[in-house]
Amino acid sequence: MFESIILWFFSIAIAPFFSAVILKIKAFFGGRKGPPLLINYYTLIKLFKKGSVYSNSTTLVFKLGPIISLGTAITVLMFLPIAGRPPMFSFHGDVIFVLYIMGLGRFFTIAAAMDTASPFEGMGAAREAYFPIICEAATFMILIFFYRLTGELQLSSYFTGNNTMAIWKLAGAPVLFIVISFFIILLTESSRVPVDDPATHLELTMIHEVMVLDHSGPDLSLIELGSFCKLFFYSTLISRLILPFDFNIPIIGYGVYLMGLILVYVAVGIIESIVARYRMDQVPQFVLTSFALAFFATIITLEFIK
Amino acid sequence: MIHPVDTILSLVLLSVLFSFGTSRLPKLIIVVGFQGIVVSIVPFFIGHDMTPGGIVFTLVTFFIRGILIPMSIYIAIKKKAIQRKVAPIVGYHASLLFGLGLIVAATYISRQLDIVSISDYKLLLPTAISLLVTGMFLLMTRRNAIAMVLGYIIMENGIYLVGTTFSVRALRIVEFGILLDVLAGVMIMTVILQNIKQTFDDVDTAHLRTLKE
Repeated sequence: MFESIILWFFSIAIAPFFSAVILKIKAFFGGRKGPPLLINYYTLIKLFKKGSVYSNSTTLVFKLGPIISLGTAITVLMFLPIAGRPPMFSFHGDVIFVLYIMGLGRFFTIAAAMDTASPFEGMGAAREAYFPIICEAATFMILIFFYRLTGELQLSSYFTGNNTMAIWKLAGAPVLFIVISFFIILLTESSRVPVDDPATHLELTMIHEVMVLDHSGPDLSLIELGSFCKLFFYSTLISRLILPFDFNIPIIGYGVYLMGLILVYVAVGIIESIVARYRMDQVPQFVLTSFALAFFATIITLEFIK
Repeated sequence: MIHPVDTILSLVLLSVLFSFGTSRLPKLIIVVGFQGIVVSIVPFFIGHDMTPGGIVFTLVTFFIRGILIPMSIYIAIKKKAIQRKVAPIVGYHASLLFGLGLIVAATYISRQLDIVSISDYKLLLPTAISLLVTGMFLLMTRRNAIAMVLGYIIMENGIYLVGTTFSVRALRIVEFGILLDVLAGVMIMTVILQNIKQTFDDVDTAHLRTLKE
């Protein structure tokens, strides 16, 4: 229990660092030196020092948005089995709880964006609502897949200890599809490149960024931290899936886990460097691919595991 | 325990989904080539008695199905600078969902059929049925003539797989005869395609309606 609390704090503290890894990779591909690895901490501190500006047309919902979006992101981390260790909280059906907590966070981000009454933010909100719907279908398909293999509805029964290895042994090839599917969900949910470009600042092409345009100072830093935590959540799951080894010595386990994390972030960075973002009407097709993969993996396992 | 045949067949099933979702002809050709290769090497794994003649037949099938047919179509596209879009009548999302439904249905049907001789290879029959229907679907819902030809070849791959499924011990000469038919068919189709392209400057089959005596 004590260990999991420390891990929870650690995960929130380290999430911004890993997001900077992506920036480094992008800079490397662009032939630049890139920002320092601690850039996100500097940004967060800088934003916290600033004051907030609120438009006259906004209400309480607008102020609530960032707090809830960060709150849900770090709540979700409490249920996350980090490095194969048991999480802080875990109960039967916590997967669905986690999914909907994330949905709550998204809802309040959207509500806050709509609250500003800016037409661009409404546009971003519409997109933000549309793409994750398909993502949710994919996530539930993955959930069915895991349920089929383990018979449990608990994140800890998929990602702790020997369980991940057992899943791989039970259904190797389909799990590979699940990993790819998860990765697409990661890219969509945390608005990375083929879906959304975090570096763009043209309202017409933005999805997530446009929704937070009107937030400033501490509010913006809360949102940023929330999105780092969200990315960290998905990366941890994938890292556990691609390196499912379980060691008796915790130190090696953590080392392997960090290696997996870096792999995932580097993969995100590489994709961001070599792939152009999709045209808006092609994004649903891309996200649908993840659903198709998960669905496919589920059918295949239904066939094999009686 | 998953049989190696099933592992590669699952990749074929995935390529079926891919062929529903892709909008580019070269990718579709690669998919067709891949399916051809897998379909033609499946007898290596499930053929109980591999005579030298059987091996030669399989290798020739492999060569024609996996390399010759896709290459000839690819060269046809390259030479004639044919448009690379497949021009669907049914959109990609709907096609993709159809593909998912198709795989479910194929799995269900093959479980009902329950053929004893291939019960070890669980994905053989679902893949065969999926390939058949995929080919038909592409034939029906793509207006680009090349995409139609590719649909036809996918269907043929499915038929071949069904053939190997139902008649594990059938005479290979029959299969080989069918294969030669297909090869001739593809050659004729490429010639006709070039004629369509010359006449209309496009391979969209919708133009054919305007033909009059």
